[in-house]
Amino acid sequence: MATATTQGNGKAILLRIAELRAWVFLILLIVFFEVWSRAAYDVTFIFNPYNIKAITVAATAPLVLALGQTFVIISAGIDLSLGFVMGFASVIAAHLANYAAAQLGLPPFPAMLFGVLSGVGMTLIPGLVNGWLIAQLKVPPFIGTLGMYGVARGSAYLIAGGMTIAISNPWYSTIGNDRVLGVPVLVILAAICCVVLHYMLSQTRFGQHTYAMGASKAAASRAGINIKKLTIKIYVLSAVMAGIAGVLYTGRFSAGAPQAGEPLLLLSIAAVVIGGASLFGGSGTIWGTVAGALVIAVIDYGLVFVNVEPFWQFIAVGAVIIVSVLVDQAQRRFMGGRQVE
Amino acid sequence: MERRSLIKMMGVATAAATTSLIAGKASAQDKIVIALIPGLTADGFYVTMHKGAEAAAKATGAELIYQGAAEWNVSLQVPILDAIIAKKPHAILIAPNDKVQLIEPLRKANDAGIAVVCVDTFIGTGVFQTGAGDADFPISYVASDNVLGGRMAARALAKAIGEKGKVYVSNVKPGISTTDQREEGFKDEMKNFPGVEVLETQFNDDDANKAAAQFQAVLGRVPDLAGVFGANLFSASGAANGAKQAGVAGKVKMAGFDAPESIVAQLKDGTFELTIAQHPAEIGYFGFMAAYAHVTGNPAPTAIGTGFSVMTAANIDDPNINKYLYKSE
Repeated sequence: MATATTQGNGKAILLRIAELRAWVFLILLIVFFEVWSRAAYDVTFIFNPYNIKAITVAATAPLVLALGQTFVIISAGIDLSLGFVMGFASVIAAHLANYAAAQLGLPPFPAMLFGVLSGVGMTLIPGLVNGWLIAQLKVPPFIGTLGMYGVARGSAYLIAGGMTIAISNPWYSTIGNDRVLGVPVLVILAAICCVVLHYMLSQTRFGQHTYAMGASKAAASRAGINIKKLTIKIYVLSAVMAGIAGVLYTGRFSAGAPQAGEPLLLLSIAAVVIGGASLFGGSGTIWGTVAGALVIAVIDYGLVFVNVEPFWQFIAVGAVIIVSVLVDQAQRRFMGGRQVE
Repeated sequence: MERRSLIKMMGVATAAATTSLIAGKASAQDKIVIALIPGLTADGFYVTMHKGAEAAAKATGAELIYQGAAEWNVSLQVPILDAIIAKKPHAILIAPNDKVQLIEPLRKANDAGIAVVCVDTFIGTGVFQTGAGDADFPISYVASDNVLGGRMAARALAKAIGEKGKVYVSNVKPGISTTDQREEGFKDEMKNFPGVEVLETQFNDDDANKAAAQFQAVLGRVPDLAGVFGANLFSASGAANGAKQAGVAGKVKMAGFDAPESIVAQLKDGTFELTIAQHPAEIGYFGFMAAYAHVTGNPAPTAIGTGFSVMTAANIDDPNINKYLYKSE
């Protein structure tokens, strides 16, 4: 949480509380489902390793998208293209792995590597274009990334010919479905992403500048931060994380799907907001986002586990987002922080 | 399969006969133009339907126009329909995005003298040329019987689990006519198997990730789960992945719906026990033929039901089954 250099001490404390809030919320939810599960079925909810595995795996896809989105939202931007950049990467990763195996005759491991690197590598294009549109041409992030949402979507469908692209590569399946010492590989990879991005956000100048830019672009610019370069970096990071999410999807479902990330985009934004970030910029943390993604996964999983009518799931996640933002507003007012209207 | 090929041959024969009969008439005027507007373009099902319509266009020498929106949305489909009406084709084949909202836009086509054929989905009640109601003007409805598809899935899944145990339907969301009908057919047919208990349906919003988590949650509560019916591709592949993550792949039997090429490997490795393949190329082919017959002054049936194939690891290499995979090219 080394944000103190550019921000006041009070702000740092506020951030810490905001971050904790999401975790407190997560624990309350778990207790709630534990009690319900014991009362209704006489079984434990959270002390069952099977449930923990299922919940953490379910959380990985929206979480990896949300990690990049955290940087964007802290910088007072938004990236709406993520869902289809993820699909774009997923399709390329599948297509090129197939190409490498069939046309270049590569064995499975290098073919998988080729697919993964190209899938993630190609996301540099939408990331750079997003950043350039926003930083150089002053297009509002909402509009610029909405345009890229369409472009990435169309490109993904074109590459895939309107279908899902099947792959049969045992190494992809390893990424998506195997376990190391009982822990799903997906969860390990997502955890590595969390640690790396947490380090970048809290310990590097890049992270500090991101907070500064979100708090006040003008002040950050006066302090000598190159806003244009920073903006491009942030959107590239966000697109690359979507690329990683896309590759993980390809591994998990043994197929590249253009619409892989479509339902995940709004979940990723919800995870960041539940995690304590403000859509107005300047606040948010990676660990908060982790808690946010877990909150959504626990609600979705828990309601099915205790056998609640399916439509309550939408209401529950929606209500949690609203409550989360209300608590956030109240906290800011109480702490005498910046008022957001 | 035999019956199917026979009908197809009859279709070709009829078309050939029709072509020769009306050759004089057609050459006297412009080339016959028939448009196909799919439910959405980015879907293997409609891509394959397009192939079937192309084959019919080639057989008759008529021209096919193919235009559609990237997603299932009335407000995207109607402008495309209007643009096609402006081109004044002889007939329009359309998979309407909504039963009610497409009635007036399609009536405009009908009023302009363009014959309308509904493929896959329908407007009004789906029963046409009866003189009843305000949406019976399309000349024909060509589609799979989705209730029957659900029944076939139920029978095949019941057999795979030894006609006893607990199953559930993994579905997209309520309100979509086709997936609703598959669920309805599945549940209804399962009543004939007293040993099979159908649990509450799980709706996943077409999110494979969510369908996987839901599978695991149901399995957590019901450890003796025997099978799942995924009412569309993402529901089925999501539930199948949930089984893989939970280490019960192959033990809990998965029945899918629809047949992209990726299904072959998944049937063979046991991810799926079976899948119900529709015959979208037939829908495109016979839809086109119905329109062509009408335009050339010949009678066309008001309803044509196309078939299904049950695909399993055992029969997928059979060319008579394999040909029903949805292909992108």
